[in-house]
Amino acid sequence: MGFVRLVVFGFVGLSILYLCISVYSRSVRREKLEKAWDEENVGSDDLAARNAYVEKGIAAYNNSFRPKLIGLVYVIPTVIVMVIVYTTNTN
Amino acid sequence: MHRLKITFRVIAFTVFGLFLHYVLPQHDVVKITSTEIIRTDFSGFNRIFYAQADSGAVEQPTRDLRLINTDKKKTFLLGFMPRDKTEVMVYRNEDTGWIWPPYFKFDSSDLQAESASVARGDSWAVITHYGWRVRWASIYPNAIAVKLLDSPDVRVIPWFNIFFFGFLIVGIVFLRAMWMQFRERSIDPLIDSAEDRFDEASADIAEQKGRVTRWLGTWKKKS
Repeated sequence: MGFVRLVVFGFVGLSILYLCISVYSRSVRREKLEKAWDEENVGSDDLAARNAYVEKGIAAYNNSFRPKLIGLVYVIPTVIVMVIVYTTNTN
Repeated sequence: MHRLKITFRVIAFTVFGLFLHYVLPQHDVVKITSTEIIRTDFSGFNRIFYAQADSGAVEQPTRDLRLINTDKKKTFLLGFMPRDKTEVMVYRNEDTGWIWPPYFKFDSSDLQAESASVARGDSWAVITHYGWRVRWASIYPNAIAVKLLDSPDVRVIPWFNIFFFGFLIVGIVFLRAMWMQFRERSIDPLIDSAEDRFDEASADIAEQKGRVTRWLGTWKKKS
């Protein structure tokens, strides 16, 4: 019963963490793209082109390998728990 | 206000520190003298300082508790400075199970057998434990592991705690960065636009007021 509770609450908690980190990571990427565009086109106020550039960059990010690394949020705690279970219960 | 803030911070920091001191593993150099089992009737107060019944067993209001009696080397500074004096220390030996604190300990019986075997000889051992010994409330630290020693003069390096605090600092910095980013990108623009709207609204009000006073002014006697 305790194990089921650990799995359920662990999954919920890690999912919240996963969502937060993916939103954060995308936000940082978006800010970087915006700044890059602003640096290359100083004084321009072509908002459509700027948006297109940023959206393209975000789409490229979504298809890249980096966002999949955030899945480690689920893997690492599971591995840590398994290691602790093993080390505590062997003598 | 400033003083209140500082007081609040000191209290929060102290509570957090005590919590970590209770939960994180510590190492004691001990001579195990005997092992025993006593029946325990928990009170509402000291219940939270005990774990649950053995993993897989049912919870009852009263149960047996495994204890490990030892002579422990005294230390200063949370165990960082060893001393020559010894004192008695009693550890409980309970399964922590799957939930809290996350030691995932299921081998209490094995640990008890190990301790009994160490108690037969006269050798020193390191006991890894968490928790406090509080005499007036009958609270014991929970033993996690026993390791035999050749001599009592050892320096145990707390690897787990080193990694834990490293990870804690990284986590806090990361959370802070996340919060700053969220504030910069999501909350500040909202506040800005709200301020704009407020400015527009107050400008409208000023204009309307101007219109009304102007209209009222038409009723005033012309001098």
